[in-house]
Amino acid sequence: MLERTRTAYLLRESFAGFHRRKLTTGVTILIMGASLLVLAVLTLVTLNLGHALETARAGIDMRVFLRDDLAPARLAELQPRLVVIPGVARTSFISPEMALRELELNLGADADLLEMVGENPLPPSYHLTLTAEARNLEAVRGIRDELAVWPEVAEIIFHQDWIDALETWTVRFRLASLVVGLVVFVAAVFVISNTVKLTMAASARVIQIQKLVGATNAFIRTPYLMEGALQGLLAGSLAMGSLLGAGFLLGDRLGGIVFFAPGQIVGFVAFCVLLGLIGSWSAMRKYLTMQSDL
Amino acid sequence: MDQSTPLAAGPLEERPVIGFRHVDLVYDDQVALKDVTFTVANGEFLCLTGPSGAGKSSILRLIAMDALPSRGEVIVRGMLASRMNRRKVPRLRREIGFVFQDFRLLDDRSVEDNVAFAQLVVGVRSAQIKRNVMRVLTQVGLWGKRHRLPRQLSGGEQQRVAIARAMVNSPKILLADEPTGNLDPVTAQEIIDLLFRINDAGTCVVFSTHDHGIVHVFGERVMIVQDGRLVSDEKRRTQVDRSANLADHMYRGQSAPKEFQHA
Repeated sequence: MLERTRTAYLLRESFAGFHRRKLTTGVTILIMGASLLVLAVLTLVTLNLGHALETARAGIDMRVFLRDDLAPARLAELQPRLVVIPGVARTSFISPEMALRELELNLGADADLLEMVGENPLPPSYHLTLTAEARNLEAVRGIRDELAVWPEVAEIIFHQDWIDALETWTVRFRLASLVVGLVVFVAAVFVISNTVKLTMAASARVIQIQKLVGATNAFIRTPYLMEGALQGLLAGSLAMGSLLGAGFLLGDRLGGIVFFAPGQIVGFVAFCVLLGLIGSWSAMRKYLTMQSDL
Repeated sequence: MDQSTPLAAGPLEERPVIGFRHVDLVYDDQVALKDVTFTVANGEFLCLTGPSGAGKSSILRLIAMDALPSRGEVIVRGMLASRMNRRKVPRLRREIGFVFQDFRLLDDRSVEDNVAFAQLVVGVRSAQIKRNVMRVLTQVGLWGKRHRLPRQLSGGEQQRVAIARAMVNSPKILLADEPTGNLDPVTAQEIIDLLFRINDAGTCVVFSTHDHGIVHVFGERVMIVQDGRLVSDEKRRTQVDRSANLADHMYRGQSAPKEFQHA
């Protein structure tokens, strides 16, 4: 049957590799799918860790203790000045009485010890809640330095060690994810590239004839790029499908795990398609010269 | 040979369709061609001959821009190989048809699909493809066998399919590399007759062969290549002698001329 159009031809050729080498293509999709599953799991762990870190970061705050000889009017004047500092989201005033009650609650059964102290020794303070952008060591230090020169301020407390540790682990985990992601990326490109090379080797005669009759490189490439993209699509869908299936089966046993949003699922599969395209492209470099080996 | 012939000046149709000037071709320190100079005019039938490995295929590769000269100039249809943008090579190849000794057909496609393939890849519309395929398959006498696969055809028929594929894009040049090498003498004569008819219609034919009998009987302009050098280039007879020569050859069979007996 005479092929009707160029598009029909390109589409047919895009699926030809699947049809002619079912086993090779199937194995490629399985291997790539398994690699991508590792990547998807890793991405999910990163996502959840990031979520946990963000929750932890929300706890980063600052306590500004004031001199205990300030008049109540002077204490109230400080609130609007604190709120306009970049990085400060909210402020709440803690009077010496409130601070004492807080301490009593914290001491619990040992609260009786406070009776030995007699007069309330706790100074008034402001509790500063920070904006998301300011929940890092550099910004916190900036706010501290600004407040330290205020004559009303006696002492500033924030958990520097804790912020340090949080930042260090965030960087380490991101680096580890990047390294594993790169390894999976290279492996997936390698697997697809080799499959497309097999397809091209089997189609060497067709490619030669295409060149002889004046086909452009773009025309010659298209079916192989589409084949690679299709392999990426299937492997990515397989990986994401497996992960979704596992999530569905395990259900509540996974606790409060955060799963991919629909947009992230589409993004992951699109990334797999891109991997397929890159794999195909790297396989074709040899064939992109205009030599037809007459 | 007139070496002052302008290769790339004047209107395209008046220029030589192929021009070589002091061309060397070296592959990995092996000299394939040395100081080759010639031109081919529009509509000419050139018989390129010489022993195997003499450099005939290298000349065809240079014409097809499948290789670039190591030295000298190659101009095909007004395009200078050394200065040509490689992206323009496909466009040039659409003006060149190729026929090979081993036919180079797609085994899993029918006769009409093999011919249509050459049009499909260059983006001809489907209705036009159908008309063109019918025209060339009728010309080569294979329209009735258009649904057959290559393996269901004889060698001569397969070569006619290859010629139809080469001609379907209406090329200005037809390169035939040993097209009769795998054929019996009678079938070979049919193929050569077909090439003559193509040439009569205005297509320049470059016919490469090491078959001395064919050169002796059919060669009009014969170029002999030996050890990468052009050793002879002469015009032997005119087109009007073709029919007589063909009939004579079919009757008497082949004979080798003296100049090839050492090869």
